[in-house]
Amino acid sequence: MKTSLLQRSLILPTLALISLGPIVLFVGSANASGHTQYQTTRKNAGTPYSSIVKKNKSGVVISYGNSAIMYNAPPSTLDTLGEALFMQNCASCHGAKANGVPANGVSAAYPDLVGLGPATIDFWIDSGRMPAADPRVVEAPRRFARLTPDQALAVAAWVNSLDPSLPDIPTPSLKNANVADGAALFALNCAACHTIEGDGDALANSTFAPSLRDIPAFQVVEAIRTGPGDMPRFTGNLSDYQVRDIVDYVTTEIQHPQNPGGLGLGGLGPVAEGFVALLLGVGVLALVGFWVGERE
Amino acid sequence: MSVDVPNTRRAKAQAKGPFGSVGKILDELDDRLGVAKGGRTFMDKIFPDHWSFMLGEIALYSFVILLVTGVFLTLYYIPSSDLVTYHGSYLPLNGMRVSEAYASTVNLSFAVRGGLLMRQMHHWSCDIFLGAIVVHMARVFFTGAFRKPRELNWSIGLTLLTLAIINGFLGYSLPDDLISGTGIRIAYSIVLAMPVVGTYIAFWLFGGNFPGTAIIPRFFILHVLIIPGIMLALVGAHLYLLVRQKHTQFPGKGRTEKNVVGSPMFPVFMAKTTGFLFIVGGITALLSAFAQINPIWQFGPYEASRISYAVQPDLYMAFLDGALRIWPSWTFHSFGHTIPFEVFVPAIVFPGLIFGLCYMWPTIERIFTKDNELHNLLDRPINRPRRTAAGVSVGMLIAVLFFASSTDVIANFFHVSLEEVLIAMRVLVVITPLISYPVTYKICKELQASKGSGKRKVANTVTRSEEGEYVATPAPVYVDDMHSDLAAMEVPRFIAPSPDEVEEGSGTRVVER
Repeated sequence: MKTSLLQRSLILPTLALISLGPIVLFVGSANASGHTQYQTTRKNAGTPYSSIVKKNKSGVVISYGNSAIMYNAPPSTLDTLGEALFMQNCASCHGAKANGVPANGVSAAYPDLVGLGPATIDFWIDSGRMPAADPRVVEAPRRFARLTPDQALAVAAWVNSLDPSLPDIPTPSLKNANVADGAALFALNCAACHTIEGDGDALANSTFAPSLRDIPAFQVVEAIRTGPGDMPRFTGNLSDYQVRDIVDYVTTEIQHPQNPGGLGLGGLGPVAEGFVALLLGVGVLALVGFWVGERE
Repeated sequence: MSVDVPNTRRAKAQAKGPFGSVGKILDELDDRLGVAKGGRTFMDKIFPDHWSFMLGEIALYSFVILLVTGVFLTLYYIPSSDLVTYHGSYLPLNGMRVSEAYASTVNLSFAVRGGLLMRQMHHWSCDIFLGAIVVHMARVFFTGAFRKPRELNWSIGLTLLTLAIINGFLGYSLPDDLISGTGIRIAYSIVLAMPVVGTYIAFWLFGGNFPGTAIIPRFFILHVLIIPGIMLALVGAHLYLLVRQKHTQFPGKGRTEKNVVGSPMFPVFMAKTTGFLFIVGGITALLSAFAQINPIWQFGPYEASRISYAVQPDLYMAFLDGALRIWPSWTFHSFGHTIPFEVFVPAIVFPGLIFGLCYMWPTIERIFTKDNELHNLLDRPINRPRRTAAGVSVGMLIAVLFFASSTDVIANFFHVSLEEVLIAMRVLVVITPLISYPVTYKICKELQASKGSGKRKVANTVTRSEEGEYVATPAPVYVDDMHSDLAAMEVPRFIAPSPDEVEEGSGTRVVER
């Protein structure tokens, strides 16, 4: 069988393509799974708009370039108080150097806190999750805060002094927020776990998305920017303006909804509605029928 | 001198005949249309008085409420997927691009006077309708009312249930909110999961790929015209057969296979049933006024990229969703084709089997019992332990699947792991029907064996004689129990009984079949 020059000349590129193709694809996918411009490393975790961050001469961030959310580092004057509080409340699990302790052979059972940024430390303490009631639970639940906000700030200041990092503690300004944009962004980014009504629900492996009904505005920002627990860390894909809109939606429409129509039935959705329809609706009507009809 | 002054009022009344002006009008009608014979049959239709016969009426009157409130909703709802900018009284949506269907439903809820109440009544009475159908069906099943000659009416009832489920789902989808859009997405995937024909049927039904713009107008016309029309015709057939074949009745004093004992349509039952219509309407309205259902403004408009967690279907679809949730993810890939068994089996094969079993049940039972007689007297469920056990078994299966549709709610509410709930449901769904069959069978047998079960106990006075013997004598009846000895009040009769009718007791009549 004769083969033309054209066919023979195509054999080598074809073989090369078949053999190298998978490698190219593999490398390509490896590149795709690497850091993109939007993903952040541990050090500058949650730096929104990192291109327009303004720093002073000694490298300390003074502004992210917008008025939607102000990020402020905790004052270094609180370092000493923070260290004392940390040793009292946190060091038994996280270690005296805040670098975590592997428990029972499981690495990072008590995580390394160095370089996490003040917002993370502040969020966990201020929402009452830390110091944990039971260090073994998969996800510490929100509860009454054990340390005051100032004490939380002090601990954050000391941990930050070990290795200064971002994000700092946010203060959102909701004056110009657009609640409709916030609702749309909430449906797109948050509702998949926290539910569209913000009640939260159970997730896989004993974790859960907590309810958003009772959470102050700055903690919403901290959670979005730091990604506590299993929550993703929203950084590059949400600007400060968008975060501000979401915070406004959460603190107004989710926490104080404009919600006519009677009792909300716990926000549990059609399951609760089904029970009410069966027990109160059909049940009461069957009882009325029992009353009207003959019993024997 | 006495003058005979004619009493004009009496003279006029005599001229009108024994039934007054109403009788005069009816006379005129009868002269033209011949309604007297049919009207007499209708007025003399006998309804047995047992309370469980009212369960079907809950469904009937909920259907009436659905039709009335549904007509109101069509006046304001716009069945269109076109995008409009929402400007209304619900602030978080202001300026958002939403579909016209969604915008009109939100406006209907916020801007139309009484609109939200009507919407909630429509939704609540839908849930009550479906629940009442199932309860009514359970009554018919467990008492054996479906047996010959009523197999056809059993099938009509089942078809009504199926259509009600479908129409409920279609109506639930019409507001085009985030939750219902997720439901349509699931329905689309279920249709796609059918081997070979799935893609064609899905594209035909949805007018192309999901979501498309054809769904809302198509679902609308199906929901408000075609399916309700068929249902209305079937409800008519259901009731016509009920009159034609006469009611079943529980066995009792003076009741045989050959007669019906109960209240006549006019006046006793008519008063009772009209009152019941108002009670059904009143309770639905109360529920709608005080309990929120499906707050679509909180869910936002549907967009394919958005999803909410904690989404469950309405109660009538819950068993299907539960089956989908707990079925293991088994998929068949081969020869360039995929058959997703994890969708096809729980969402198509399983409901097909359950409904097929229900349709076939009268035939199956006749084959097993070799009983080809006509049955007008009902069974007590304990006297048919196998049928009762089978019914309880299938009912428990559906009940477990109902709970399985809320695995996430259970996990969150009781603070347990989602996987544990899932595995527990998988175990329960197999074990519960298997256990409930023998347990029900045994309970029925035990109840059969215990004589006088269900009857009021008579108190005894126990005395000890001088020899040490104990003697129990029935104590005198307490005042509280006296009412059982009282006779029922005489019910007045407005129509003279026909000669072939036998008077039985007070307020009830017996009619030969």
